[in-house]
Amino acid sequence: MPSLLRVHEGTLRNGLRVRVVPSSDSPVVSLYTFFRVGSRNERPGITGISHLFEHMMFNGAAKYGPNQFDEVLEAHGGRSNAYTTHDLTVYYEEFAAEALDQVLDLEADRMRSLTISDRTLQREREVVKEERRLRVENDVAGLLDEELHALVYQAHPYRWPVIGWMGDIQAIRREDCEAYFRTFYAPSNAVLWIAGRVDPEATLSRVRRAYRDIPAGPPVPGVVDAEPPQRGERRSVIHHPAQAPGVLIAFRGPPVSHPDALALDVLQFVLALGEGSRLTRRLVYQERVAVDVGMDWSWRLDPGVLVFHAELAPDGDPARVEAMLYGELDRAAEEGVSERELAKAKNNLRAHLLRELATSSGRAHALGTYEAYLGSWRAGLRLADRYARIDGATVRAAARRYLNASRRSVVTLLPGAAA
Amino acid sequence: MRDAERILPARSSFTTADGLGVVVARRGRIPLVSVRLVVQGGSAADPPDRPGLADFTVRLMRRGTARLDADALNEAVEFVGATLAVFAAEDFLALALTTPAEHLGGMLDVLGQMVREPAFPEPEFDTERRRALAQFANDLDDPSLLAHRALQRAVWGAHPYGHDVAGNRASVEKLTREEVLGFHRRRFGPRMSRLFLVGAVDLATARPLVERAFAGWRAGPSEVPLPPPLATAAGEGQVLVVDRPDQTQAQVGLGGMAYRRGAPEAFAAQVMNAALGGGFTSRLVRAVRVKRGLSYGVGSSFEAMRVGGSFLVSSFTKVETTRALLDVTLSEVARMRGRGPTGAELQKAQEYLAGLFPLRVETNEAVASALADLWLYELGEDFVDLYRSRIRGVTRAEAASAAAAFCFARPPAVALVGPGEALRRAAAGLGPVSVVAASELL
Repeated sequence: MPSLLRVHEGTLRNGLRVRVVPSSDSPVVSLYTFFRVGSRNERPGITGISHLFEHMMFNGAAKYGPNQFDEVLEAHGGRSNAYTTHDLTVYYEEFAAEALDQVLDLEADRMRSLTISDRTLQREREVVKEERRLRVENDVAGLLDEELHALVYQAHPYRWPVIGWMGDIQAIRREDCEAYFRTFYAPSNAVLWIAGRVDPEATLSRVRRAYRDIPAGPPVPGVVDAEPPQRGERRSVIHHPAQAPGVLIAFRGPPVSHPDALALDVLQFVLALGEGSRLTRRLVYQERVAVDVGMDWSWRLDPGVLVFHAELAPDGDPARVEAMLYGELDRAAEEGVSERELAKAKNNLRAHLLRELATSSGRAHALGTYEAYLGSWRAGLRLADRYARIDGATVRAAARRYLNASRRSVVTLLPGAAA
Repeated sequence: MRDAERILPARSSFTTADGLGVVVARRGRIPLVSVRLVVQGGSAADPPDRPGLADFTVRLMRRGTARLDADALNEAVEFVGATLAVFAAEDFLALALTTPAEHLGGMLDVLGQMVREPAFPEPEFDTERRRALAQFANDLDDPSLLAHRALQRAVWGAHPYGHDVAGNRASVEKLTREEVLGFHRRRFGPRMSRLFLVGAVDLATARPLVERAFAGWRAGPSEVPLPPPLATAAGEGQVLVVDRPDQTQAQVGLGGMAYRRGAPEAFAAQVMNAALGGGFTSRLVRAVRVKRGLSYGVGSSFEAMRVGGSFLVSSFTKVETTRALLDVTLSEVARMRGRGPTGAELQKAQEYLAGLFPLRVETNEAVASALADLWLYELGEDFVDLYRSRIRGVTRAEAASAAAAFCFARPPAVALVGPGEALRRAAAGLGPVSVVAASELL
């Protein structure tokens, strides 16, 4: 797999790291900027500022004024977008190869001299409130997920949603945004990934020219993980006018830096990925207690969470779903997984890595994400080997360690208005 | 002749002994192959009293064949790291696989069994129906999905494009296994199907594998019924309100008739639409989001199908600002209808569409889908390679006449989802309003 890729890298004096992955597939370039900041870097009172700030980054800087970013980009055959997670904020552009200098000029301009005005802040605040109404207030899955995280985490910033609490979105001030920009959007807190039809050495010097005058930022304050130990199962009930009951179940997991994180990647395939996975076969097709079941285990910089979700029919019984699901989890913890299940999970993880690397954009995104979570992109390319070495005993030990009641939080959705 | 450029990979093709047309395109360095079997005729060819039959049938096909039960079939696919998706669209059915190249033969065998000898086992039929019915119920909790269904209904009415591919509760409740068997018999066969293989594969490797996998799959239909064209939107000048009393946000949709897939005016229409509501700097995004902060998202698009198509505008906003959103949106569409895009807008839209086009055919899956479209809609083998020069060749006059024709020259059908009474008031003056319960859409 590494033979498919050649990564050229450099670091500017201001700390900006640059990685270039040339290819000749199509006349297109993808540019990703990874900032190591997300909702875990926030505090109560300004929750959601990372995401709100992502919106502010499109509202003009010293050279290119309000709305010019997309205006210029689109006129050069490009498009842009961005996303914010608990751990990272990521900006990306895809564009015709000839426009590279132009796009670097746009990106460097907003890192150098973003304009934050009361007027644009006020307007983006309203846009984000609509986004929150869309994704949380009027979305059953969004409501449950928000409740679950507030149950799992008592002290860690993973407690609040990435989009933030409505009251905080309303209250964030321009000064908060300015301080946030100075601290987290400095070149020393960013990594640029450029993939596609480019000359690697020329691209490195173009990046140098575009970004070298931007001063390095202050050291980024560390995130304190003051999460106290969990001493027993936690439960919460949501009443909402939904059609069917539902249940969302979480277990506290390890951070990505812990070796168990990869064992859980394997376990996720066995339990819940694919029509032939254990939970889908048992709950959906054999016992028919759920119409769909899934598991979300996503890497996090700090201790993360394994989430199981089940979609029920209107006459479904969440208690039966829970009991049956725990039965399957206990079986995994006691008996482990078969050699065939292990081989199947590894085949899928390998195919997944290949699919990720199939496009320029996919390569830049996957390698940038690996670098952010694993410490280096090379570690990402070694993943297939690391997965290959995971044995059944390791997976069973991970299932035992994490899938037990004392690490569990459960949110049940009951149809009907709140009393 | 305009300039063709090489965007799609070179193809070779053959027909199996039993009459299945096969297209093979080798590309890329990743050892994966995308396989797509496309069957003409989709949900638009559902029997009038059984909307959803095509979709239900194709999904049940992965729940077992004469030789593999559902578990064995899923294990065969998933063990090697392949993925399988089966789905219906308005004009076609598709079975799509992505597999590591070394397992291509085995995966083609599975696909061959699925189309040739699906078992449709009785218990699986029951489970699938139960799941489908539960899905209809749970869809009631998804405002944007309801909005999409409401707009389809408002635009197409009783036309075969007016029902969702999944059909509705009443139809699926009545469905029998015999109807599924009959549908498979009537509609599946090599003459109306084509197989596309894209990625780490060449003709010499593929041919014997395909011959083996599909041996004995013959006969079947030699034509599919096409729906009639529709001249004007069914709900033209009317407002359909779907009552969801607890929503704090209203979903807003507007629609009218446009062009069928492959129509020559498509290029001018797409350039015009990029300026109106396509990209992030379009007039609608600027007016609704950037200037007024009324919504997180707004966009317009053309949906082009075999015999017809629509022009759709969608957005959402808090209930109190629904009318403001409607007014801004309608006035921007009217302004475009009146004069078309400016010269600068035209040029930017052309660069935008042409520059990004290669990204739309970047993966093996996307190439397989594009090749299938060339065949399904008879677009011409050089359609994709000529796309960018055709986009760049659109004149301002052509874009203006596309706007005059499609941007609600006749009053649009309006679909709103949210609290019924508030939305009825918000829609005052836009045409006769009917308020229905959300359950009536499903």
